[in-house]
Order: sequence, then C-alpha cells, then structure tokens
Amino acid sequence: MTVLILTCEEDVTADMVVVHLNASGVPVVRLDPADLPGGVALSGEYVHGRFRGHLQSAGRLVSIAGLRSVWVRRPGEAAARAAQPSAWLTEESTQALYGMLRGSDARWMNHPDAARRARHKPWQLRLAQRCGLPVPATLITTFPQAAREFADRYPDLVVKPVSGAHPQDPPRAVPTSRVAPDTDFSAVAFGPTLLQRRVGKRADIRLTVVGERLLAARKATADDADPDDPGAVDVRFASADIPWRAADVPPRIADAVRSYLREAELAYGAFDFAEDADGTWWFLECNQSGQFGFVEVETGLPIARTIAEWLADPGPEPQTRVNGSSTTVC
Amino acid sequence: MQPFALNYARPAATLEATTPYVYDSGLQLNVLMDGRVAAGDLALLRELGTTTSTAGSKTHFDD
Repeated sequence: MTVLILTCEEDVTADMVVVHLNASGVPVVRLDPADLPGGVALSGEYVHGRFRGHLQSAGRLVSIAGLRSVWVRRPGEAAARAAQPSAWLTEESTQALYGMLRGSDARWMNHPDAARRARHKPWQLRLAQRCGLPVPATLITTFPQAAREFADRYPDLVVKPVSGAHPQDPPRAVPTSRVAPDTDFSAVAFGPTLLQRRVGKRADIRLTVVGERLLAARKATADDADPDDPGAVDVRFASADIPWRAADVPPRIADAVRSYLREAELAYGAFDFAEDADGTWWFLECNQSGQFGFVEVETGLPIARTIAEWLADPGPEPQTRVNGSSTTVC
Repeated sequence: MQPFALNYARPAATLEATTPYVYDSGLQLNVLMDGRVAAGDLALLRELGTTTSTAGSKTHFDD
C-alpha cells in the first residue's frame, strides 16, 4: 500500500517526511497536480459496477485502490504547468484528480472538504470556543461604528486578515498589527475587518497535532520587546535570536485541541497560541496545513517522523460481508 | 477606498537566494550538489529558512 503525497517539488519540508517513509520501506508516490496533464497522468475506469484508477508520475504507476493515505501538503494548482494552461483545464484536471481520489478508501491528511472548511477563521474561533479553548475577544465587521465601540471596550487591539491570505497585486504581507487607540476606523466599511484584543504575551506557542500526538514548541517574547514592534505582535516577524524550544502541553489544552481536530475532521493541525503572563494559552488560529519544518529544525521535535508514522499506518482494516460473515479484505 | 487591514500591509518577503538543491524525481527528494539529501542537513535548512512559516506566500496561506 502506497502513500500519495501531493506537493510541489521545492517542498523540502515534505522531504523530511519522505526520508522517514523511505527508511521504513513504505512505498511513496509524490506528485504535483500542477503537472497534470504532462508529467502526471491519470486514468480511471468505471465499468460493470467497479472502479479501477491509476496515477502515473516520474515513471511510477500506482493504483488508486492501492493507496493507504493521501497527504495534501503544498500541491500546486492542477494543470498550472500544462502546455496550454487555462481555467477550464484547471477545473477539469482538479475534478478528475481529486474526484477519483475521493473515491478511494485512503486516509487523508487532510481531506479537501475538511481542509476547505477549516481555513475559515471565523469558523475556527467558534469551534475553539466550543472546545473550551480561551479565545481573545474578537470582532469581524464592516461597520466602522462597531469597530469604534469595540475599540472603546478593548483599547489595546490588533488587526489581521480574516482569511489569512495576502494580496498579490502587488505581493504584500498583512501581518497581525497593533491598532493605535485613536485610529480612524472609517475604512472598515471597505472590507471585512478582524479586530482582536491584543494578548500581552510572554511567549508564542506552536502546537502541532498529528492524529492524537501533540508536539508543542514555545518561543519566549523578548523582555525588552516593544509592543508596537511587528515582531512582538506577529511571531512570523519576530527575531530569530530567541529560539523555539520544546514545551509541555497543559492537560486541558491537550483535551481541547484533540476535540477541535475531531470536530474539524482533521488529521493534522498547527495551532498558534499566545501565552499570557498568567500562563494561559489564548487560541489564535489553527492552520490545517501549517508549516512544521522550522519547529523540528530548531527543537528536534520528531514531527516529520510522526507524520510519516501516521501516513504509513494502515488504519482500520476494511471489513466486508462474505456469505454472511465478516471477512477482512487483503 | 482601501480596506482597513491593508493600511498595515508591507511588501511581501521573498526568498532572494537560490536554493542549493534540486529536485530528483527518481528519489522524490531534493538533493544538494554533492548528492546528499537536503532534508538531512538541518543546519542548512535553518540557514535557508525554506521550512519557515512566512507571511505573504504567493500560493499558500496556511503558515
């Protein structure tokens, strides 16, 4: 049984997992949907009530029935590198590839439907609340007056994109940023705006969850950090001088994040928390495909190995009914 | 008429340096010029920052 990895060639973080799969002798097929059609080929036949499907990439041919798991890591857009790319060809290729894969019995990390839903930050906040995770007071609005009133209640605010996406024309980043108390909120009318009470943090937490395994890392905030410095607000812009260190997970948080992933139907999630002066972990977001390589490189936490073990796990054996008795299919 | 959040935008970070490894479709891994697997050189990965969570990714918004 083969592990299928959907990712781009330059994804060296995926390599960290492939190395472990190779070492354990688990067959792997890695491909980028951007190369379909072209470097990647597929065929699926629905005849006489049965389905037989195959994928081919770089000389490897794999039966869709022979997949044990599918890891959706950093796949390119289907047909992006086709000889004559088009939106129509992308849709055709996307439907063919993911449509066939959805018909397999393979385990997903993560299933596309669950992944799409899990990207919605408002949905994340609500699920986190329901799972018992502390969530900073948050407002998402296009009403400038609502933003002003929220700022009156919570004078120390940050703003961040609702989607987590960044504008590309021209390419820009929108880091989580502190909002000055006397800010003019009139531009809130021009786009949904996410405002959140700033957590005075003493550390950032990246908690990577793989199945039931929790792997937490903590990056302390510099003692002399200027709260207006972007790096003090958004850890992605923080100084590399303070390293990530492996950390223990409070039992209540452990229970809550496991509940979160079950509810979200995710096999993998990278949670971001802000740890305040009392040691409370405030939920910021859960990236269903969040980066983990930098955490492993700095902390030595065995995240890649844990992912490889999850992908290699055959999962529950499929059962079928033959002559009235339950029989394992081999 | 710019949305409020874009008042806080900044130019996206780009990886200027070319990565010293290339994808080997036979191995399904990126390899260094001396043939070693890039993922085995954690010091190099740390230096390059290619496994790092970033903001402004052109194609992926799950950091």
